[in-house]
Amino acid sequence: MRNLRRFFSRWQNWLGLLLVLSFALVAILAPLISPADPKSPGPFQRYPGFRITDRAPKSPDLAPPLGTLPGNLNVFHALVWGTRDALLFGLQVSLSTAIFGVLFGAGAAYTGGWINSFLMRIADAFLSFPTIAGIVLVNQLWLSVITNAGGVLYQGEWLTEPDQSARFVIWLIEHIDPLLLTLILFSWMPYARITNIIVTTLKETEFIQAARALGTSPARIIFRHLIPNAISPAFVLAARDVGGMVILQATFTFIGLGGTSIWGTMLVNGRDWVIGPDGGILRYWWVFLPATLTLVLFGIGWNLLGDGLSELFDPRSAQ
Amino acid sequence: MPPFFQFLIRRFLAIPISLLVITLIIYGGVVLVTPPDVRASIYMPETNAHLTEEQIQRQINLVIERYHLNEPFPVQYVYWVASLLRGDWGYSPSLNGNVLPALLQRTPATAELALYSALLFIPLGLLAGVMAGWHQRGILDGLFRSLAFFSTSMPTFILALILISFFYIGLGWFAPERISLSFSIHLTPENFTSYTGMYTIDGLLNGRLDLVADAFRHLAMPVFTLSLYHWATLGRIARAAMIAERRRDYIIAARARGIRENSLIWRHAFYNMIAPSFTSLVLSAASLVTGVFVVEIIFRYNGVSDIIVRSMQGIPDAAAALGFTIYSVIVVLLLMFGLDVLQAIFDPRVRDEVLRS
Repeated sequence: MRNLRRFFSRWQNWLGLLLVLSFALVAILAPLISPADPKSPGPFQRYPGFRITDRAPKSPDLAPPLGTLPGNLNVFHALVWGTRDALLFGLQVSLSTAIFGVLFGAGAAYTGGWINSFLMRIADAFLSFPTIAGIVLVNQLWLSVITNAGGVLYQGEWLTEPDQSARFVIWLIEHIDPLLLTLILFSWMPYARITNIIVTTLKETEFIQAARALGTSPARIIFRHLIPNAISPAFVLAARDVGGMVILQATFTFIGLGGTSIWGTMLVNGRDWVIGPDGGILRYWWVFLPATLTLVLFGIGWNLLGDGLSELFDPRSAQ
Repeated sequence: MPPFFQFLIRRFLAIPISLLVITLIIYGGVVLVTPPDVRASIYMPETNAHLTEEQIQRQINLVIERYHLNEPFPVQYVYWVASLLRGDWGYSPSLNGNVLPALLQRTPATAELALYSALLFIPLGLLAGVMAGWHQRGILDGLFRSLAFFSTSMPTFILALILISFFYIGLGWFAPERISLSFSIHLTPENFTSYTGMYTIDGLLNGRLDLVADAFRHLAMPVFTLSLYHWATLGRIARAAMIAERRRDYIIAARARGIRENSLIWRHAFYNMIAPSFTSLVLSAASLVTGVFVVEIIFRYNGVSDIIVRSMQGIPDAAAALGFTIYSVIVVLLLMFGLDVLQAIFDPRVRDEVLRS
């Protein structure tokens, strides 16, 4: 309780919580805030009333509320639906990595002995694997999986044979995001390491020894006693990761190494208009500022929340 | 043998072991999802466009037989590693050449970028951390903390986008890519000897100061982008380490003896906070390397990342992807080794810990 009161006594924590909650709200209420247009589905909605050949971005006066990107794509609509997309992506990645990493670390520590050293050796090996190499490799493997299933890549579009395999190929393309897979595969190690260290020391404490002496099953000890006592650093890491992973996704989308970040795509789309044809950096501000600010605020929000959580769980770090 | 050399050897031997684990995982992944005739593309020689489908199929079969791609995993793995050790990293269709020479040829460019940003962010990060930590809650500390907060929350690609718009398109001071076309088309082996492959150093050695200036003009933006984030992170950690160090008894004792403040900071506290500041750098070595490649791609700086940009353009290119992966893992491992050694120089406890385990 005292910790909670301290948590709410700092404005940084309030700000973090507020930002995260408002992003969550926007994500949940996206269909109400910016209704989808059946004529132009998806996050990139064509703004009605402009000629298709007229590609220059329109200012917020001409196309409320936030103007359009080059190609008459509604900025506000993309921002709102991008929030849902980003939040989903960040939560997916950080929850999967957290769960896998905590289980891996706790399991290894509980088993102990050479198995523990071996498993942590593997975690360390993964630690020396740069994400960018991971995405290149996973993308290449994914390419060959789809090709095997019968997909054919033709000028950047996947084509399928009209037979049984088509359904599987389409399922693969629609449901598996290589970047998501890569980030899950290559970012669970911090969770495993920190849980491993805590569980290793916790294992020798009296209450665990007592539980073991009572004949409690290993699974029960791990899930009932060890993990609840070792999970708080994982929560902190996960909170910070949500923001970090979304920014990483946008980065990879921006440099064209896969990823489907909507905010990232918005910035790719508007990159030539940061300085417009007539000079002046703020002349076409709506092309890049909204997306930039949203992305930065998203990262800041989760980071502040992570800092706040770490104080909440470990009051000594506050000082 | 002095313990430091023991540590050096022990630590160095850890590299091949990690490499073994990683290559096992990578090849395991490859075997898991690809059938033998796709896997054969790792070893395929340069393909001749005039070959018929039959001839290509015959070539694939030859490769499968030669590298035992139909046999159990351990056998295949050994053949693969053997070919890697021979320096035979495969032919990449998107690069139109062998992978290993392509990687090595582009290494100096990446090294140049990484070197200059390390030279920039490590001293400045330590300096900022020391000053902010020593004067905790002072004006300097507040300034540093807000600047660090800004730098870490700014995604690199957006910073790069803004820098390019401002300093390249707007003002024209700096430029992306590695060197201006007007220089690169005049560089021939006759008038320019390449000693290191780094334009800034080679330019000096060849007495071409205009070339050095041009190279720096192109390095400025990527180096700044790369350094800013790491400067802030290192500074934050150094600050925390300094705050912990400042309260130690030996500092209080030294101050009681009347030692001057400057000497207290730089001769007493500084050496003790270097090792803890580097700990997190070791752990984030992989993301340091990722950062270098990302910045290269954004600024179209033609370093090693050029290979992945080309290999991601839709043509299946397993050789380049695998080659790049192993190359970057080796780079990370060497970086971790170097940082560990640096840490051990300043803190003998790090050395003892490795020797004990």
